[in-house]
Amino acid sequence: MPKCTINGKEVEVKEGTSIIEAMQQSGDRIAHYCWHPGLSVAGVCRLCMVEIEGNPRVQIACNTMVTEGMKINNTSEKVRDAVKWGLDFHLINHPLDCPICDQAGECGLQDQYMEYGKYDPEMAEAKVKKHKVVDLGPTVVLDSERCILCSRCVRFTEEVSKTNELGIFNRGDRSEIGTHEGVELNNKYSLNTVDICPVGALTSKDFRFRQRVWYLKDAETVCNGCSNGCNVKVYFNKEGFFRVKPVYNEKVNGYWMCDEGRDIYKFVNKETRLLKAQVRGASGWTEMAGGAAAKNAHEVLKNTSGDSLALVLTAQYTVEEFDAIVSTFVNEFKTKKVFFWINNKETFDSFDGLLLRGDKNPNTKGLLKVLEKHGITATWADLTQGLGNGSIKTVVVAGPENQAVFPDFQERVKELSKAQNLIWLQAGKNDALMSLTGNVWLIPTKTFVEKDGTFINHAGLEQKFKKVTTIVSEALTLTEAALLLAGKNLTIPTATAQPFMPMNQREDQVTLEARKKNEFVFRRGSL
Amino acid sequence: MSVMQNNSEKAKWYLPGVLGGLGITMKHLLVNLFNRKKMMTLNYPEEKYEYSPRFKGNHVLTVKKDGSLRCTACMLCATNCPAECIKIVAAEHNDPHVEKFPISYEIDILRCVFCGYCEEACPVDAIRLGPEWQTPGVNGANFIYDINHLAYRPNLKGGIQTHVDDEERLKSGI
Repeated sequence: MPKCTINGKEVEVKEGTSIIEAMQQSGDRIAHYCWHPGLSVAGVCRLCMVEIEGNPRVQIACNTMVTEGMKINNTSEKVRDAVKWGLDFHLINHPLDCPICDQAGECGLQDQYMEYGKYDPEMAEAKVKKHKVVDLGPTVVLDSERCILCSRCVRFTEEVSKTNELGIFNRGDRSEIGTHEGVELNNKYSLNTVDICPVGALTSKDFRFRQRVWYLKDAETVCNGCSNGCNVKVYFNKEGFFRVKPVYNEKVNGYWMCDEGRDIYKFVNKETRLLKAQVRGASGWTEMAGGAAAKNAHEVLKNTSGDSLALVLTAQYTVEEFDAIVSTFVNEFKTKKVFFWINNKETFDSFDGLLLRGDKNPNTKGLLKVLEKHGITATWADLTQGLGNGSIKTVVVAGPENQAVFPDFQERVKELSKAQNLIWLQAGKNDALMSLTGNVWLIPTKTFVEKDGTFINHAGLEQKFKKVTTIVSEALTLTEAALLLAGKNLTIPTATAQPFMPMNQREDQVTLEARKKNEFVFRRGSL
Repeated sequence: MSVMQNNSEKAKWYLPGVLGGLGITMKHLLVNLFNRKKMMTLNYPEEKYEYSPRFKGNHVLTVKKDGSLRCTACMLCATNCPAECIKIVAAEHNDPHVEKFPISYEIDILRCVFCGYCEEACPVDAIRLGPEWQTPGVNGANFIYDINHLAYRPNLKGGIQTHVDDEERLKSGI
């Protein structure tokens, strides 16, 4: 275990650690463009310069290993000067595209320039013009003028996705990133190249020009795209969710996530959601608040005997919710007719070797665990039989959040509509449900970004996640829905009274805490 | 705010002040009656005052030589706006040299405080505050100015051009 001194701090690192890793361990800031912890070392950007005591020249930190007693610093004048000139070379041909560039606001080069640069350019020559708006494939657009040739994307396709679509072509300042002849960047992980691009050269077609990044807030959660349970960050603002990016978790997904998972924000947004509960009786559809509809459904449920009541669950909800709704059915309604709606059993075990799993439900393991805990052994055949001979009259369904991965949705709706009373808890809108006849309750539910909970992934790893924001305020979690269906009252926890009230504040005074910007506007009238 | 009170003896003699004020009013009345050409008021709206070109009045979106919008929808004006009255929707342009442009640019003029921060934030000289200053409208008028109004309203006679054009910029290697 060699010990080294970084900017005056002593750090002990593992054998074979590079200086850049040691600096991250010690919490020192260091610029890095070509180095990425998940990729091999290239050493081409020359911006992670450090000064090592006893060494006359500055060195790159990414490809220099720490040795015993090394004294490193990256704050000296010598390093600052080296970084400044390195930056000058990077910016020779870099266009002033920041107003157009999608990466503006989270661009490393911008940050670096503000910290080390701020000089007058000394290049008299015109910039080398390269290709703008190159269509690399179905998901990614390249702007080779902005590219600083760090080769991260090339190494990603070589080492991680192993598809080798990208390469660096031409020599000198005419070098460009591009795809090989006749190949397009079209793999299931292509959008990771956009994440790792340190400048705005590679941009995602999906996110391109939709929002400036400084308008977005982010929060960590667990992807519900498949049973792998990748750790992700979702980016959102009051207009909705806009993109998803991976978060490092060594046990689950490393630094990466798949392109399919990046679409999960779409079924969460308001335009695809069921905003109000719809209740269908003899006189057609009526709109109701979510909670009121669940209360209304209780009127039917309380007159139903245990044997004629069934519950159908999809594996897209959290463990806590499954536990709440199953125990309500077992204990309150005395029925063990709880069925697991499996969307594509055959592909459940398939795996592409990197991240993507065939089971497109985030919580299959969690549901099976809850069913086992309550000793439920019912199979789908029982349900079909029960619906056929009329012994099952009332069905409560917790439908999938992500309808796209349920190809059998229409058929199942048709099958379940044989029931006399159908209570369907669903997050998204669906035409098949709206065209149902008979007694139907459509109750909006919350999606995974709107609630706290736990997902258990394919390997049995329990991952807790927190609520991000509220999109449909009337939506219920299954826990709340279970309480209301059982005829109990929902108590909404109110915020505890503030222990300290400022002297000059009325008790009912509205405080505008959320709005930090423009504070002076609200303080108008007081000096 | 503090209120000053003058309780001195002198302050009780208010009548000379009142009469002095009346005197000034009377002087102006007589001057205006017998010398109407030097009268300092205007018959608005028939006569209008023109401010200097530096006056920060109604917004103008500038255009390029071909008449298309100069704005790249970078949203810096919207970010910098203290009244949060600017709303922009960006989209991809067919021309790769333009790349990004606004398909909708709206200013809620009732919120606008004419501070000029949008002008200052704009990196491409696409928004300016022009010398026009009249923003009247009857109840129910559209106080949300869209691209059409901001760039191509009749007074602008086809739009105001920016100094630097994209083509020139690209040629000079910027």
